[in-house]
Amino acid sequence: MTQTGNTRIAFIETLTEIAAQDPTAALVCADSILVVKGQAFAQKYPERFVDVGIAEQNAVACAAGMASCGLVPFVATYAGFITMRACEQVRTFVAYPHLNVKLIGANGGISAGEREGVTHQFFEDLGIVRTIAGITVVVPADEAQVRHATRAIHKTPGPAYMRIGSGRDPLVDCEDVPFELGKVRVLADHGNDVVLFANGFVVNRALAAADVLSRQGVHPTVVDVHTLKPLDREAIVDLLRQTGAAVTVEDHNIIGGLGSAIAELSAEACPTPVMRIGLRDTYPRSGEPGPLLDYYHIGVADIVEAAKRAMQMRDRKVR
Amino acid sequence: MTDTIGELQEIARQIRIDVVTTIHKAGDGHPGAALSATDLIAALYFRVMKVDPARPDWAERDRFVLSKGHACPALYAALARKGYFSHDDLVGLRSLGSHLQGHPDMNKTLGIDFTSGSLGNGVSIGLGMVLAGRVTRLDYFVYVVTGDGEIEEGVVWEAAMSAAKYRAGRLIVFVDNNGIQSGGPVEQVSGLYPILPKWEAFGWHCQEIDGHDFSQILSAVEDTQMEAERPSLILAHTVKGQGVPFMIGDNSWHKRVPTRQEYEEAMRALGGPVW
Repeated sequence: MTQTGNTRIAFIETLTEIAAQDPTAALVCADSILVVKGQAFAQKYPERFVDVGIAEQNAVACAAGMASCGLVPFVATYAGFITMRACEQVRTFVAYPHLNVKLIGANGGISAGEREGVTHQFFEDLGIVRTIAGITVVVPADEAQVRHATRAIHKTPGPAYMRIGSGRDPLVDCEDVPFELGKVRVLADHGNDVVLFANGFVVNRALAAADVLSRQGVHPTVVDVHTLKPLDREAIVDLLRQTGAAVTVEDHNIIGGLGSAIAELSAEACPTPVMRIGLRDTYPRSGEPGPLLDYYHIGVADIVEAAKRAMQMRDRKVR
Repeated sequence: MTDTIGELQEIARQIRIDVVTTIHKAGDGHPGAALSATDLIAALYFRVMKVDPARPDWAERDRFVLSKGHACPALYAALARKGYFSHDDLVGLRSLGSHLQGHPDMNKTLGIDFTSGSLGNGVSIGLGMVLAGRVTRLDYFVYVVTGDGEIEEGVVWEAAMSAAKYRAGRLIVFVDNNGIQSGGPVEQVSGLYPILPKWEAFGWHCQEIDGHDFSQILSAVEDTQMEAERPSLILAHTVKGQGVPFMIGDNSWHKRVPTRQEYEEAMRALGGPVW
Protein backbone atom coordinates (compact mmCIF):
# COMPACT_ATOMS: atom_id res chain seq x y z
CA MET A 1 0.00 0.00 0.00
CA THR A 2 1.41 3.35 -1.05
CA GLN A 3 1.76 5.86 1.75
CA THR A 4 -0.12 9.05 1.12
CA GLY A 5 0.21 12.66 2.18
CA ASN A 6 -2.04 15.67 1.69
CA THR A 7 -1.00 18.21 -0.93
CA ARG A 8 -4.00 20.41 -0.18
CA ILE A 9 -2.94 20.84 3.45
CA ALA A 10 0.69 21.22 2.40
CA PHE A 11 -0.35 24.12 0.18
CA ILE A 12 -2.52 25.92 2.70
CA GLU A 13 -0.07 25.50 5.57
CA THR A 14 2.70 26.93 3.42
CA LEU A 15 0.53 29.81 2.24
CA THR A 16 -0.35 30.58 5.85
CA GLU A 17 3.35 30.67 6.72
CA ILE A 18 3.98 32.93 3.73
CA ALA A 19 1.13 35.23 4.78
CA ALA A 20 2.75 35.71 8.18
CA GLN A 21 5.79 37.19 6.45
CA ASP A 22 4.18 38.83 3.44
CA PRO A 23 1.24 41.14 4.22
CA THR A 24 0.20 41.12 0.55
CA ALA A 25 -0.35 37.36 0.26
CA ALA A 26 -4.05 36.54 -0.07
CA LEU A 27 -6.31 33.55 -0.66
CA VAL A 28 -9.18 33.66 -3.15
CA CYS A 29 -11.71 30.83 -3.15
CA ALA A 30 -14.76 29.98 -5.21
CA ASP A 31 -16.65 28.17 -2.46
CA SER A 32 -13.52 26.05 -2.25
CA ILE A 33 -12.52 26.89 1.32
CA LEU A 34 -13.15 23.32 2.43
CA VAL A 35 -11.42 21.91 -0.65
CA VAL A 36 -8.17 23.64 0.32
CA LYS A 37 -8.79 23.56 4.07
CA GLY A 38 -8.64 27.35 4.19
CA GLN A 39 -10.62 27.89 7.41
CA ALA A 40 -7.60 28.70 9.57
CA PHE A 41 -6.23 31.11 6.96
CA ALA A 42 -9.61 32.84 6.73
CA GLN A 43 -9.79 33.20 10.48
CA LYS A 44 -6.26 34.50 10.82
CA TYR A 45 -6.33 36.86 7.83
CA PRO A 46 -9.98 37.78 7.22
CA GLU A 47 -9.19 40.78 5.00
CA ARG A 48 -6.90 38.67 2.87
CA PHE A 49 -9.42 35.91 2.37
CA VAL A 50 -11.93 36.37 -0.43
CA ASP A 51 -14.66 33.87 -1.23
CA VAL A 52 -16.74 34.85 -4.25
CA GLY A 53 -18.91 31.75 -4.20
CA ILE A 54 -19.22 29.22 -7.00
CA ALA A 55 -17.99 31.70 -9.58
CA GLU A 56 -14.54 30.90 -10.90
CA GLN A 57 -14.45 33.53 -13.62
CA ASN A 58 -15.19 36.13 -10.97
CA ALA A 59 -12.56 34.62 -8.66
CA VAL A 60 -9.81 34.89 -11.27
CA ALA A 61 -10.78 38.34 -12.55
CA CYS A 62 -11.17 39.62 -8.99
CA ALA A 63 -7.73 38.24 -8.12
CA ALA A 64 -6.34 40.01 -11.18
CA GLY A 65 -7.78 43.29 -9.88
CA MET A 66 -6.28 42.60 -6.45
CA ALA A 67 -2.87 41.89 -7.99
CA SER A 68 -3.00 45.12 -10.00
CA CYS A 69 -3.25 46.96 -6.67
CA GLY A 70 -0.31 45.25 -5.02
CA LEU A 71 -1.58 41.99 -3.54
CA VAL A 72 -0.36 38.47 -4.29
CA PRO A 73 -3.56 36.46 -4.49
CA PHE A 74 -3.52 32.67 -4.57
CA VAL A 75 -6.71 31.46 -6.29
CA ALA A 76 -7.38 27.93 -5.11
CA THR A 77 -10.12 25.67 -6.36
CA TYR A 78 -10.54 22.66 -8.62
CA ALA A 79 -8.03 22.55 -11.46
CA GLY A 80 -10.55 22.30 -14.26
CA PHE A 81 -12.71 25.13 -13.02
CA ILE A 82 -9.70 27.45 -13.05
CA THR A 83 -8.25 26.28 -16.35
CA MET A 84 -11.45 25.62 -18.26
CA ARG A 85 -14.29 27.64 -16.73
CA ALA A 86 -12.07 30.67 -16.12
CA CYS A 87 -9.60 30.03 -18.92
CA GLU A 88 -10.15 33.35 -20.62
CA GLN A 89 -9.74 35.30 -17.40
CA VAL A 90 -6.50 33.40 -16.78
CA ARG A 91 -5.20 34.19 -20.24
CA THR A 92 -6.37 37.75 -20.78
CA PHE A 93 -6.44 39.25 -17.30
CA VAL A 94 -3.72 37.34 -15.46
CA ALA A 95 -1.18 36.07 -17.96
CA TYR A 96 -1.34 38.78 -20.62
CA PRO A 97 -0.85 41.65 -18.13
CA HIS A 98 1.70 39.46 -16.30
CA LEU A 99 0.02 39.92 -12.94
CA ASN A 100 1.23 38.33 -9.77
CA VAL A 101 -1.63 35.86 -9.43
CA LYS A 102 -1.00 32.26 -8.37
CA LEU A 103 -3.49 29.67 -9.54
CA ILE A 104 -3.75 26.49 -7.47
CA GLY A 105 -5.61 23.64 -9.14
CA ALA A 106 -6.91 20.77 -7.00
CA ASN A 107 -7.76 17.29 -8.26
CA GLY A 108 -5.02 17.43 -10.87
CA GLY A 109 -5.10 14.19 -12.86
CA ILE A 110 -7.47 11.25 -13.06
CA SER A 111 -6.16 9.71 -9.85
CA ALA A 112 -6.73 12.87 -7.81
CA GLY A 113 -10.32 13.05 -8.92
CA GLU A 114 -10.88 9.56 -7.61
CA ARG A 115 -14.43 8.26 -7.54
CA GLU A 116 -15.97 11.60 -8.54
CA GLY A 117 -15.85 10.81 -12.22
CA VAL A 118 -14.91 12.94 -15.20
CA THR A 119 -16.48 16.20 -13.98
CA HIS A 120 -13.94 16.27 -11.15
CA GLN A 121 -10.98 14.60 -12.84
CA PHE A 122 -8.78 17.16 -14.53
CA PHE A 123 -6.40 15.89 -17.14
CA GLU A 124 -6.37 18.79 -19.60
CA ASP A 125 -5.29 21.56 -17.18
CA LEU A 126 -1.59 21.43 -17.97
CA GLY A 127 -2.09 21.37 -21.72
CA ILE A 128 -4.35 24.40 -21.45
CA VAL A 129 -2.11 26.53 -19.25
CA ARG A 130 1.02 25.49 -21.11
CA THR A 131 -0.29 27.15 -24.28
CA ILE A 132 -0.80 30.44 -22.43
CA ALA A 133 2.28 32.65 -22.70
CA GLY A 134 3.95 33.86 -19.54
CA ILE A 135 2.64 31.39 -16.93
CA THR A 136 4.97 29.30 -14.81
CA VAL A 137 3.50 25.78 -14.60
CA VAL A 138 4.45 23.53 -11.70
CA VAL A 139 3.42 19.92 -11.09
CA PRO A 140 4.80 18.85 -7.71
CA ALA A 141 5.30 15.16 -6.95
CA ASP A 142 3.92 15.04 -3.40
CA GLU A 143 3.10 17.07 -0.31
CA ALA A 144 6.70 17.96 0.53
CA GLN A 145 7.27 19.13 -3.03
CA VAL A 146 4.10 21.22 -2.86
CA ARG A 147 5.60 23.10 0.09
CA HIS A 148 8.74 23.89 -1.91
CA ALA A 149 6.75 24.78 -5.01
CA THR A 150 4.36 27.08 -3.14
CA ARG A 151 7.28 29.04 -1.70
CA ALA A 152 9.00 29.12 -5.07
CA ILE A 153 6.03 30.49 -7.01
CA HIS A 154 5.45 33.07 -4.28
CA LYS A 155 9.05 34.24 -4.61
CA THR A 156 8.88 34.42 -8.40
CA PRO A 157 6.95 37.48 -9.59
CA GLY A 158 4.30 36.85 -12.22
CA PRO A 159 1.55 34.36 -12.96
CA ALA A 160 1.90 30.72 -11.95
CA TYR A 161 -0.23 27.60 -12.03
CA MET A 162 0.40 24.79 -9.56
CA ARG A 163 -1.34 21.46 -9.37
CA ILE A 164 -2.40 19.92 -6.09
CA GLY A 165 -4.28 16.68 -5.59
CA SER A 166 -7.15 15.09 -3.71
CA GLY A 167 -5.59 15.12 -0.28
CA ARG A 168 -4.68 11.45 -0.56
CA ASP A 169 -1.59 11.88 -2.64
CA PRO A 170 1.21 9.29 -2.82
CA LEU A 171 4.42 10.16 -1.04
CA VAL A 172 7.65 9.96 -2.99
CA ASP A 173 10.90 9.19 -1.25
CA CYS A 174 12.84 12.05 -2.84
CA GLU A 175 13.22 14.83 -0.28
CA ASP A 176 17.01 14.57 -0.41
CA VAL A 177 16.97 15.91 -4.00
CA PRO A 178 16.57 19.68 -3.78
CA PHE A 179 13.71 21.53 -5.47
CA GLU A 180 14.56 24.48 -7.66
CA LEU A 181 11.89 26.08 -9.82
CA GLY A 182 12.68 25.58 -13.49
CA LYS A 183 15.23 22.81 -12.88
CA VAL A 184 14.64 19.09 -13.24
CA ARG A 185 15.41 16.76 -10.34
CA VAL A 186 17.24 13.53 -11.02
CA LEU A 187 15.60 11.13 -8.58
CA ALA A 188 17.29 7.89 -9.56
CA ASP A 189 20.35 7.36 -11.69
CA HIS A 190 20.70 3.68 -12.51
CA GLY A 191 22.40 4.44 -15.82
CA ASN A 192 21.96 5.84 -19.31
CA ASP A 193 19.94 3.12 -21.03
CA VAL A 194 16.75 5.13 -21.01
CA VAL A 195 15.40 8.25 -19.30
CA LEU A 196 12.01 8.31 -17.59
CA PHE A 197 10.64 11.83 -17.32
CA ALA A 198 7.77 12.07 -14.84
CA ASN A 199 5.84 14.61 -12.81
CA GLY A 200 2.94 14.84 -10.40
CA PHE A 201 1.44 12.05 -8.38
CA VAL A 202 2.74 9.28 -10.65
CA VAL A 203 6.44 9.98 -10.05
CA ASN A 204 6.49 7.03 -7.65
CA ARG A 205 5.30 4.80 -10.52
CA ALA A 206 8.24 5.90 -12.64
CA LEU A 207 10.58 5.12 -9.74
CA ALA A 208 8.98 1.68 -9.30
CA ALA A 209 9.33 1.01 -13.03
CA ALA A 210 12.99 1.98 -12.83
CA ASP A 211 13.50 -0.59 -10.08
CA VAL A 212 11.84 -3.27 -12.20
CA LEU A 213 13.97 -2.32 -15.21
CA SER A 214 17.13 -2.36 -13.10
CA ARG A 215 16.38 -5.85 -11.90
CA GLN A 216 16.00 -6.85 -15.55
CA GLY A 217 19.38 -5.41 -16.43
CA VAL A 218 18.17 -2.15 -17.95
CA HIS A 219 19.62 0.96 -16.33
CA PRO A 220 17.32 4.00 -16.42
CA THR A 221 17.51 7.50 -15.07
CA VAL A 222 14.37 8.90 -13.47
CA VAL A 223 13.83 12.63 -13.72
CA ASP A 224 11.15 14.76 -12.05
CA VAL A 225 10.11 17.51 -14.44
CA HIS A 226 8.11 19.41 -11.85
CA THR A 227 8.37 22.69 -13.73
CA LEU A 228 6.56 22.08 -16.98
CA LYS A 229 7.05 25.69 -17.99
CA PRO A 230 9.60 27.10 -18.38
CA LEU A 231 11.09 23.75 -19.27
CA ASP A 232 14.65 22.98 -18.20
CA ARG A 233 15.68 22.61 -21.83
CA GLU A 234 19.38 22.24 -21.27
CA ALA A 235 19.15 19.43 -18.73
CA ILE A 236 16.47 17.59 -20.71
CA VAL A 237 18.40 17.76 -23.97
CA ASP A 238 21.52 16.48 -22.16
CA LEU A 239 19.53 13.53 -20.83
CA LEU A 240 18.07 12.81 -24.28
CA ARG A 241 21.59 12.87 -25.74
CA GLN A 242 23.00 10.61 -23.02
CA THR A 243 20.25 8.01 -23.29
CA GLY A 244 18.79 8.23 -26.81
CA ALA A 245 15.51 6.81 -25.51
CA ALA A 246 12.84 8.45 -23.38
CA VAL A 247 9.53 7.76 -21.67
CA THR A 248 7.23 10.40 -20.24
CA VAL A 249 4.95 9.55 -17.32
CA GLU A 250 2.12 11.82 -16.30
CA ASP A 251 -1.39 11.82 -14.93
CA HIS A 252 -2.76 13.90 -17.80
CA ASN A 253 -3.96 13.43 -21.32
CA ILE A 254 -0.97 12.38 -23.43
CA ILE A 255 -1.79 15.43 -25.55
CA GLY A 256 -0.60 18.76 -24.20
CA GLY A 257 1.28 17.93 -21.01
CA LEU A 258 4.69 16.54 -20.16
CA GLY A 259 4.74 14.08 -23.07
CA SER A 260 4.05 16.82 -25.55
CA ALA A 261 6.57 19.17 -23.97
CA ILE A 262 9.37 16.61 -24.09
CA ALA A 263 8.45 15.44 -27.60
CA GLU A 264 8.43 19.03 -28.88
CA LEU A 265 11.83 19.72 -27.38
CA SER A 266 13.20 16.42 -28.62
CA ALA A 267 11.98 17.07 -32.16
CA GLU A 268 13.65 20.46 -32.25
CA ALA A 269 16.84 19.87 -30.32
CA CYS A 270 17.66 16.16 -30.14
CA PRO A 271 15.42 13.77 -32.11
CA THR A 272 14.88 10.80 -29.82
CA PRO A 273 12.20 8.12 -29.49
CA VAL A 274 9.78 9.39 -26.82
CA MET A 275 7.06 7.07 -25.53
CA ARG A 276 4.24 8.87 -23.78
CA ILE A 277 2.54 7.29 -20.78
CA GLY A 278 -0.63 9.09 -19.80
CA LEU A 279 -4.35 9.08 -20.39
CA ARG A 280 -4.76 8.08 -24.03
CA ASP A 281 -7.04 10.86 -25.19
CA THR A 282 -10.16 9.38 -23.66
CA TYR A 283 -12.50 9.99 -20.71
CA PRO A 284 -11.77 7.95 -17.61
CA ARG A 285 -14.20 6.33 -15.16
CA SER A 286 -14.65 6.60 -11.41
CA GLY A 287 -12.49 4.34 -9.33
CA GLU A 288 -9.80 4.05 -6.72
CA PRO A 289 -6.68 5.92 -7.75
CA GLY A 290 -4.23 3.03 -8.02
CA PRO A 291 -6.39 0.62 -10.01
CA LEU A 292 -7.68 3.54 -12.07
CA LEU A 293 -4.18 4.50 -13.20
CA ASP A 294 -3.41 0.86 -14.00
CA TYR A 295 -6.65 0.51 -15.97
CA TYR A 296 -5.77 3.51 -18.10
CA HIS A 297 -2.27 2.26 -18.85
CA ILE A 298 -0.40 4.51 -16.44
CA GLY A 299 0.85 1.46 -14.57
CA VAL A 300 4.35 0.35 -13.66
CA ALA A 301 4.19 -2.45 -16.24
CA ASP A 302 3.17 0.05 -18.92
CA ILE A 303 6.15 2.24 -18.10
CA VAL A 304 8.53 -0.72 -18.19
CA GLU A 305 7.12 -1.80 -21.55
CA ALA A 306 7.38 1.73 -22.94
CA ALA A 307 11.01 2.00 -21.83
CA LYS A 308 11.84 -1.16 -23.71
CA ARG A 309 10.02 0.02 -26.82
CA ALA A 310 11.88 3.33 -26.74
CA MET A 311 15.19 1.52 -26.50
CA GLN A 312 14.23 -0.85 -29.33
CA MET A 313 13.39 2.08 -31.56
CA ARG A 314 16.68 3.74 -30.72
CA ASP A 315 18.63 0.54 -31.40
CA ARG A 316 16.85 -0.20 -34.70
CA LYS A 317 17.83 3.27 -35.79
CA VAL A 318 21.45 2.56 -34.92
CA ARG A 319 21.43 -0.66 -37.01
CA MET B 1 -9.86 70.21 -11.53
CA THR B 2 -12.29 71.56 -14.03
CA ASP B 3 -14.87 73.80 -12.46
CA THR B 4 -17.65 74.29 -14.90
CA ILE B 5 -20.00 72.13 -16.89
CA GLY B 6 -19.08 74.26 -19.91
CA GLU B 7 -15.45 73.28 -19.60
CA LEU B 8 -16.38 69.61 -19.40
CA GLN B 9 -18.55 69.98 -22.48
CA GLU B 10 -15.63 71.53 -24.32
CA ILE B 11 -13.29 68.71 -23.23
CA ALA B 12 -15.84 66.15 -24.36
CA ARG B 13 -16.13 67.90 -27.73
CA GLN B 14 -12.35 67.73 -28.12
CA ILE B 15 -12.36 64.04 -27.16
CA ARG B 16 -15.06 63.35 -29.75
CA ILE B 17 -12.99 65.12 -32.39
CA ASP B 18 -10.05 62.90 -31.44
CA VAL B 19 -12.20 59.75 -31.47
CA VAL B 20 -13.44 60.30 -35.02
CA THR B 21 -10.06 61.51 -36.25
CA THR B 22 -8.05 58.63 -34.79
CA ILE B 23 -10.48 55.98 -36.06
CA HIS B 24 -10.46 57.60 -39.49
CA LYS B 25 -6.65 57.67 -39.53
CA ALA B 26 -6.29 54.17 -38.05
CA GLY B 27 -8.74 52.71 -40.53
CA ASP B 28 -10.30 50.65 -37.74
CA GLY B 29 -12.26 51.03 -34.52
CA HIS B 30 -15.62 51.40 -32.81
CA PRO B 31 -16.76 55.01 -33.09
CA GLY B 32 -20.37 54.57 -31.92
CA ALA B 33 -19.45 53.06 -28.55
CA ALA B 34 -16.59 55.50 -27.92
CA LEU B 35 -18.87 58.48 -28.55
CA SER B 36 -21.58 57.20 -26.19
CA ALA B 37 -19.09 56.79 -23.34
CA THR B 38 -17.21 60.04 -23.95
CA ASP B 39 -19.06 62.23 -21.45
CA LEU B 40 -18.72 59.65 -18.67
CA ILE B 41 -14.99 59.40 -19.29
CA ALA B 42 -14.58 63.17 -19.51
CA ALA B 43 -16.41 63.71 -16.23
CA LEU B 44 -14.39 61.05 -14.43
CA TYR B 45 -10.95 62.15 -15.63
CA PHE B 46 -11.50 65.91 -15.61
CA ARG B 47 -13.63 66.37 -12.54
CA VAL B 48 -14.08 63.29 -10.41
CA MET B 49 -11.02 61.07 -10.17
CA LYS B 50 -8.01 61.63 -7.94
CA VAL B 51 -5.21 60.93 -10.41
CA ASP B 52 -1.81 62.40 -11.22
CA PRO B 53 -0.52 61.98 -14.77
CA ALA B 54 3.02 62.58 -13.49
CA ARG B 55 2.64 59.50 -11.29
CA PRO B 56 0.61 56.93 -13.23
CA ASP B 57 1.55 54.26 -10.66
CA TRP B 58 0.62 56.37 -7.63
CA ALA B 59 -0.79 53.78 -5.22
CA GLU B 60 -3.42 56.10 -3.76
CA ARG B 61 -4.98 57.15 -7.06
CA ASP B 62 -8.56 56.35 -7.98
CA ARG B 63 -8.80 53.54 -10.55
CA PHE B 64 -10.69 53.39 -13.80
CA VAL B 65 -11.58 50.22 -15.69
CA LEU B 66 -13.03 50.62 -19.17
CA SER B 67 -14.80 47.29 -19.21
CA LYS B 68 -16.14 48.08 -22.68
CA GLY B 69 -12.57 48.25 -23.94
CA HIS B 70 -13.61 48.85 -27.53
CA ALA B 71 -14.52 52.41 -26.52
CA CYS B 72 -10.82 53.07 -25.88
CA PRO B 73 -10.31 55.81 -28.49
CA ALA B 74 -12.24 58.06 -26.08
CA LEU B 75 -10.13 56.93 -23.13
CA TYR B 76 -6.89 57.42 -25.08
CA ALA B 77 -7.99 60.92 -26.04
CA ALA B 78 -8.79 61.73 -22.41
CA LEU B 79 -5.46 60.36 -21.18
CA ALA B 80 -3.56 62.34 -23.81
CA ARG B 81 -5.39 65.52 -22.79
CA LYS B 82 -4.57 64.79 -19.15
CA GLY B 83 -0.90 64.57 -20.11
CA TYR B 84 -0.15 60.86 -19.68
CA PHE B 85 1.33 60.87 -23.19
CA SER B 86 1.58 63.12 -26.19
CA HIS B 87 -1.54 64.06 -28.11
CA ASP B 88 0.46 63.27 -31.27
CA ASP B 89 0.47 59.58 -30.26
CA LEU B 90 -3.28 59.29 -30.85
CA VAL B 91 -2.96 58.91 -34.60
CA GLY B 92 -0.88 55.76 -34.06
CA LEU B 93 -3.97 53.93 -32.75
CA ARG B 94 -3.94 50.23 -33.69
CA SER B 95 -0.73 50.51 -35.71
CA LEU B 96 2.35 48.37 -35.22
CA GLY B 97 4.82 50.21 -33.02
CA SER B 98 2.22 52.40 -31.32
CA HIS B 99 1.58 51.99 -27.60
CA LEU B 100 -2.14 52.44 -28.31
CA GLN B 101 -3.52 48.95 -28.79
CA GLY B 102 -6.85 48.10 -30.39
CA HIS B 103 -8.09 47.52 -26.84
CA PRO B 104 -6.55 48.95 -23.64
CA ASP B 105 -3.30 47.41 -22.40
CA MET B 106 -2.15 48.41 -18.90
CA ASN B 107 1.47 47.52 -19.67
CA LYS B 108 1.78 49.42 -22.92
CA THR B 109 -0.14 52.64 -22.32
CA LEU B 110 0.53 54.98 -19.41
CA GLY B 111 -2.59 55.79 -17.46
CA ILE B 112 -4.46 52.57 -18.25
CA ASP B 113 -5.24 50.98 -14.89
CA PHE B 114 -6.34 47.66 -16.31
CA THR B 115 -6.26 45.73 -19.55
CA SER B 116 -9.68 45.22 -21.10
CA GLY B 117 -11.48 44.33 -24.28
CA SER B 118 -13.07 40.95 -23.76
CA LEU B 119 -16.41 41.91 -22.33
CA GLY B 120 -17.93 41.43 -18.92
CA ASN B 121 -14.88 41.46 -16.68
CA GLY B 122 -14.61 45.03 -15.42
CA VAL B 123 -16.90 44.66 -12.42
CA SER B 124 -14.92 41.68 -11.06
CA ILE B 125 -11.63 43.44 -11.65
CA GLY B 126 -12.92 46.60 -10.00
CA LEU B 127 -14.11 44.59 -7.02
CA GLY B 128 -10.63 43.05 -6.68
CA MET B 129 -9.14 46.55 -6.68
CA VAL B 130 -11.50 47.68 -3.92
CA LEU B 131 -10.74 44.60 -1.81
CA ALA B 132 -7.00 45.19 -2.26
CA GLY B 133 -7.44 48.75 -1.01
CA ARG B 134 -8.83 47.40 2.26
CA VAL B 135 -5.68 45.33 2.80
CA THR B 136 -3.29 48.11 1.81
CA ARG B 137 -5.33 50.69 3.78
CA LEU B 138 -5.77 52.97 0.77
CA ASP B 139 -9.18 54.54 0.34
CA TYR B 140 -9.30 55.07 -3.43
CA PHE B 141 -12.49 54.72 -5.44
CA VAL B 142 -12.78 52.38 -8.40
CA TYR B 143 -14.85 53.48 -11.38
CA VAL B 144 -15.94 51.04 -14.06
CA VAL B 145 -17.70 51.78 -17.34
CA THR B 146 -19.43 48.79 -18.92
CA GLY B 147 -21.52 48.59 -22.01
CA ASP B 148 -25.14 47.52 -21.79
CA GLY B 149 -24.83 44.50 -24.08
CA GLU B 150 -21.77 43.40 -22.15
CA ILE B 151 -23.71 42.85 -18.94
CA GLU B 152 -25.28 39.85 -20.65
CA GLU B 153 -22.07 38.06 -19.60
CA GLY B 154 -22.63 35.80 -16.57
CA VAL B 155 -19.46 36.91 -14.82
CA VAL B 156 -20.98 40.39 -14.41
CA TRP B 157 -23.67 38.92 -12.17
CA GLU B 158 -21.14 36.79 -10.31
CA ALA B 159 -19.34 40.02 -9.54
CA ALA B 160 -22.56 41.89 -8.73
CA MET B 161 -23.36 39.27 -6.12
CA SER B 162 -19.96 39.26 -4.47
CA ALA B 163 -19.53 43.05 -4.53
CA ALA B 164 -22.75 43.33 -2.53
CA LYS B 165 -21.57 40.61 -0.13
CA TYR B 166 -18.30 42.49 0.40
CA ARG B 167 -20.12 45.83 0.85
CA ALA B 168 -17.86 47.32 -1.79
CA GLY B 169 -19.12 50.87 -1.38
CA ARG B 170 -16.07 52.26 -3.16
CA LEU B 171 -16.96 50.43 -6.37
CA ILE B 172 -18.91 52.61 -8.79
CA VAL B 173 -20.12 51.10 -12.04
CA PHE B 174 -21.62 53.01 -14.93
CA VAL B 175 -23.65 51.12 -17.50
CA ASP B 176 -23.30 53.00 -20.79
CA ASN B 177 -26.82 52.23 -21.90
CA ASN B 178 -26.77 53.29 -25.55
CA GLY B 179 -29.30 50.56 -26.25
CA ILE B 180 -27.52 48.96 -29.17
CA GLN B 181 -25.01 46.12 -29.21
CA SER B 182 -23.06 44.59 -32.05
CA GLY B 183 -25.95 42.62 -33.48
CA GLY B 184 -28.71 45.16 -32.95
CA PRO B 185 -30.95 46.66 -30.26
CA VAL B 186 -30.24 45.22 -26.82
CA GLU B 187 -33.83 44.15 -26.22
CA GLN B 188 -33.91 42.19 -29.47
CA VAL B 189 -30.59 40.44 -29.00
CA SER B 190 -30.79 39.39 -25.39
CA GLY B 191 -33.81 40.20 -23.29
CA LEU B 192 -31.59 42.23 -20.97
CA TYR B 193 -34.15 44.81 -19.90
CA PRO B 194 -35.07 45.98 -17.37
CA ILE B 195 -31.54 46.66 -16.16
CA LEU B 196 -31.98 48.67 -12.98
CA PRO B 197 -34.26 46.29 -11.02
CA LYS B 198 -31.73 43.50 -11.55
CA TRP B 199 -28.94 45.47 -9.87
CA GLU B 200 -31.32 46.61 -7.15
CA ALA B 201 -32.21 42.98 -6.51
CA PHE B 202 -28.51 42.19 -6.20
CA GLY B 203 -28.24 44.77 -3.42
CA TRP B 204 -26.66 47.68 -5.26
CA HIS B 205 -27.27 51.39 -4.75
CA CYS B 206 -28.83 52.34 -8.08
CA GLN B 207 -29.37 55.57 -9.97
CA GLU B 208 -30.55 56.40 -13.45
CA ILE B 209 -29.25 59.42 -15.35
CA ASP B 210 -28.82 61.04 -18.73
CA GLY B 211 -25.25 60.00 -19.54
CA HIS B 212 -24.67 63.10 -21.64
CA ASP B 213 -25.73 65.57 -18.93
CA PHE B 214 -22.69 66.52 -16.88
CA SER B 215 -24.66 67.91 -13.98
CA GLN B 216 -26.50 64.59 -13.68
CA ILE B 217 -23.26 62.58 -14.01
CA LEU B 218 -21.51 64.62 -11.33
CA SER B 219 -24.44 64.65 -8.97
CA ALA B 220 -24.84 60.87 -9.33
CA VAL B 221 -21.16 60.35 -8.52
CA GLU B 222 -21.45 62.62 -5.50
CA ASP B 223 -24.38 60.53 -4.36
CA THR B 224 -22.37 57.30 -4.65
CA GLN B 225 -19.66 58.73 -2.45
CA MET B 226 -22.15 59.14 0.36
CA GLU B 227 -22.89 55.42 0.14
CA ALA B 228 -20.47 53.62 2.44
CA GLU B 229 -21.59 50.04 2.07
CA ARG B 230 -23.51 49.27 -1.08
CA PRO B 231 -21.65 49.22 -4.40
CA SER B 232 -23.11 51.74 -6.82
CA LEU B 233 -24.66 51.28 -10.22
CA ILE B 234 -25.36 54.29 -12.39
CA LEU B 235 -27.49 53.45 -15.39
CA ALA B 236 -26.49 56.13 -17.88
CA HIS B 237 -28.83 56.59 -20.79
CA THR B 238 -26.65 57.46 -23.74
CA VAL B 239 -26.78 57.73 -27.50
CA LYS B 240 -24.54 55.60 -29.67
CA GLY B 241 -22.61 57.98 -31.89
CA GLN B 242 -23.47 61.02 -29.74
CA GLY B 243 -22.13 64.23 -31.29
CA VAL B 244 -21.99 62.97 -34.86
CA PRO B 245 -25.53 63.20 -36.24
CA PHE B 246 -25.13 60.78 -39.15
CA MET B 247 -23.90 58.02 -36.83
CA ILE B 248 -26.90 58.24 -34.50
CA GLY B 249 -29.50 55.56 -35.12
CA ASP B 250 -27.29 53.71 -37.60
CA ASN B 251 -25.69 50.72 -35.93
CA SER B 252 -23.26 50.14 -38.77
CA TRP B 253 -21.21 52.70 -36.74
CA HIS B 254 -20.70 50.11 -34.02
CA LYS B 255 -17.54 49.24 -35.93
CA ARG B 256 -17.03 51.26 -39.06
CA VAL B 257 -14.43 53.65 -40.38
CA PRO B 258 -15.52 57.08 -41.60
CA THR B 259 -14.59 57.78 -45.21
CA ARG B 260 -12.83 61.06 -45.95
CA GLN B 261 -16.17 62.66 -46.75
CA GLU B 262 -17.80 61.30 -43.60
CA TYR B 263 -14.82 62.36 -41.52
CA GLU B 264 -15.08 65.91 -42.85
CA GLU B 265 -18.81 65.93 -42.18
CA ALA B 266 -18.19 64.73 -38.60
CA MET B 267 -15.62 67.48 -38.09
CA ARG B 268 -18.11 70.06 -39.30
CA ALA B 269 -20.65 68.74 -36.79
CA LEU B 270 -18.12 68.73 -33.95
CA GLY B 271 -16.43 71.97 -34.96
CA GLY B 272 -13.11 70.22 -35.36
CA PRO B 273 -10.18 70.79 -37.67
CA VAL B 274 -9.81 68.54 -40.71
CA TRP B 275 -6.42 66.82 -40.91
